Amino acid sequence: MKKLIPHLLLPVLALVLIAITASAQDANEIMKKSHLAYYYAGNDGLAEVTMTLTDKRGKERVREFTMLRRDESDGGNQEYYTYFKKPSDVSRLTFMVHKMTDGNDLRWLYVPSVDLVKPISADDKNSSFVGSDFTYEDVSGRRWTEDNHTYKGEQDLNGTAVYVIESVPKEPYKGFARKVSYIDKDNFLPLKEEYYDSKNNLERIFTAEKVDTVDGIPTVTIRKMDNVQKKSFTTVDFTSIKYNVGIEADVFSERYLKTPPRKYIH
Amino acid sequence: MNKIAPIVFGLLLLAAVPSRAEVRFDGFVQGLFGGRLDQHNPTSTEETASETRLQLRMEDFGDRSEFFGRLDFLYDGTQDTNQYDWELREAYLKFRLGSNFDFKVGRQILTWGTGDLIFINDVFAKDYRSFFIGRDDQYLKAPQNAIRTEYYNSLGAFSVVWSPRFTPNRLPTGRRLSYYNPMSGEIVGTGTGPQYYFEPAIPPARFKNSELATRFQHQFGAFSFSAYFYRGFYKNPTGFDPNSMSPFFPRLNVYGTSLRGATMGGIVWLEGGYFDSRQDQAGDNPYVPNSSATGMVGFERQVATDLTVNGQWQVDYMTNYDKFKAQQPPGAYVRDEVKHLLTSRVTKQLNMETITLSGFVFYSPSDEDAYVRFSGEYKYTDNLTFMLGGNIFDGKHHSTDFGQFSLNDNIFVKLTYGY
Repeated sequence: MKKLIPHLLLPVLALVLIAITASAQDANEIMKKSHLAYYYAGNDGLAEVTMTLTDKRGKERVREFTMLRRDESDGGNQEYYTYFKKPSDVSRLTFMVHKMTDGNDLRWLYVPSVDLVKPISADDKNSSFVGSDFTYEDVSGRRWTEDNHTYKGEQDLNGTAVYVIESVPKEPYKGFARKVSYIDKDNFLPLKEEYYDSKNNLERIFTAEKVDTVDGIPTVTIRKMDNVQKKSFTTVDFTSIKYNVGIEADVFSERYLKTPPRKYIH
Repeated sequence: MNKIAPIVFGLLLLAAVPSRAEVRFDGFVQGLFGGRLDQHNPTSTEETASETRLQLRMEDFGDRSEFFGRLDFLYDGTQDTNQYDWELREAYLKFRLGSNFDFKVGRQILTWGTGDLIFINDVFAKDYRSFFIGRDDQYLKAPQNAIRTEYYNSLGAFSVVWSPRFTPNRLPTGRRLSYYNPMSGEIVGTGTGPQYYFEPAIPPARFKNSELATRFQHQFGAFSFSAYFYRGFYKNPTGFDPNSMSPFFPRLNVYGTSLRGATMGGIVWLEGGYFDSRQDQAGDNPYVPNSSATGMVGFERQVATDLTVNGQWQVDYMTNYDKFKAQQPPGAYVRDEVKHLLTSRVTKQLNMETITLSGFVFYSPSDEDAYVRFSGEYKYTDNLTFMLGGNIFDGKHHSTDFGQFSLNDNIFVKLTYGY
C-alpha cells in the first residue's frame, strides 16, 4: 500500500504541473496544438461526410461525400481527396487539394461526365466550400502562424474547461478581422469559434456539436457553422471515421482523381 | 489483329469482373425547349429544341474494377417522325492490371488537352448539334467506342486510346440547324430542300481506318506537361471528292504539346499542335485542307468572391498559304494565313452557389465572326434546376467557322430533375 502512494502521487503531481504550465502556456502554443488536434489527427484519415446547408428560409440542401486526408508531416503539407455522392448532379465528381503550408494550395476537379480534369485557381481560400457556410480554409485549416494570438483566460463552456484565445490576422484578411476561439483544455479541440468582420460585428459562429473518441483520437464528429449575418447555417456530420489506415501517397494524384480508390471509397 | 483483339480483351474483362457488388443507380429527367431568333433560317423546324430526356446511370464496382453505364431516352418533338430515340452514352469497364496499368474498355467520353472549349490535341468526337442548342455541357462530347490503356511509372503517365471505328464530330445537319454549303455558296437547310440534309459517309470499318490517340503526361510541382500524337482523320468532313461530288474526312496526324499549371494566383495554359494533312502535305490539292500549326495561351483566375474570368488567344497558321489562296474561286471569302481567335468566359455564382450566371464569347478578328453563349441557372432544390440560356452567332462572311451558323441564333429554357 505504501508503495502505491508514490505511484498515485506522481501522476497527480504531473497533472497539477501540466495544469500550471498550461495556464501560463503561450497562446501561440495552444493554437498550434489545437490546429494539430483538429486538422492533423493521426497520419491520415477517412470519413463519410454529410453536409446539410440551411438557408435563411429554412430550405435544406444536402451534400454527401467521402473524404480522404493524408499528412506529409504534422503541421506540414497535406493532401485531401473528396468523392461526391449526392446530390445527383455532382455524383461521382472528385476533388483534390494539395495543401501547401508555404504558398498557394493546388486544387483539381474531375468531372466524369465529360472526362475533364480541371485545375482550379486557389487564390481565394475564403470562398465557400460547395456553397456552404464553411470556407475552403475552414475545411483544410488556417495555419496558426498567420495570426497573432492573445490568451484571454479560461472559462467553462457548457461544462468543459476551455482556453479562450483571441486571434487577429497578421495581414489584412477578408475571412475575418478577429476570431475568438474556445479550446478544450484536455484535448485542444476547438469547441467554439466566433468570427468578427472588419466592423467588429459577429459574422459566423463555429460550434463542435459532438465530440467522440475514434481510434483513441478525440474527434469533432458534428460541426456547425452559423452565418449570423446571412442567417444561414451548415451542419457537417462525420461517420465511419478511420485514422491511420495507411492511405498511399499516390492516391492523391491525377490517376486516382479519374479512378477513385475503391479500397476506401464505396 | 482485328479478330484477336476482342478475344484478348474478353478474357481481360472476365479476369476483372467487379468483386464486390455495390450497384448504384441515379440519373435525371430533363425538358429542353428552344426557339430560334432568325425568321429566315432555311431549316424545317421552328424550334431548335423540344425534347424530354431521361438519363439512367448505373455503376457497379469492386476494389480493382468498376462498370459504369449511362443510357439516354429521348422524346424529340421537333421531329415529324422518329420522335423516340435513345443512345448509349457510356458503357465501360475500368480495371487495373498489376500496379501500373489502367484500362477503360467500351463506350466512353474522352477528353484531354488544356483549352476551354478550344480543342487542339483533343481530337475526340464533339457534338456541336447539342452544344449549339443548349443541351448540358456533357453533350458537347460524343461517345467513342474505344480501349484506353494507361501506364504509370516514375516518368509520368502514358495513355493510348484506340478507337476501332472512326468517330466523327456531330455537325449541324440542316434540319434543326442550318450550315454553309460551299457548292451553293449560301447557308442551307432542309427547309430549302431535303437534299440539303447533311450526313457525310465515314471511312469504312477497316483496321487502317481506326483512330489512335496517345499522350504522355508528366506532373512537376504545380505544372503538368503533356505531349500528344494522333493518327486518324479530320473530325469534320473538310475534304471534297470531285468525282462523287461529296465531302469526306481526309487523313490527319496531329503532333502537339501542352503545359498547364497554377501561377500568378490563377491557372495558365499553353498548347500547340501541328495538323499534318496526310493527303495534301504539299498543299497542292484544292479539295483537301492544308496542314496547319496552331497554338493557344489561356489564363483563368478568380477575380472576386465567386467570380471567375478567363481568356484565351489562339493563333492558327496555314502552311502553303499562297497555293491555297491561288486555288480559291474568284469572289470567295479567303481566310488569312494567320487566323486569330479570342475567347473569354465569365462565371458568377450567387446565393450560396444556387445561382450561376455564365457567359462565353468566341471572337475571331481575322475571320470577323463571333459566337456568344450565355446562361443563367437556378438550383431551386438539390434535385430541381431551372436554366435559361442562348446561343448567338454572327459573321461578316457566311463561310467562316461561326458565320456559317449565323441564322441559328436561339434561346432556350431547360428544367432538370435529378434523382
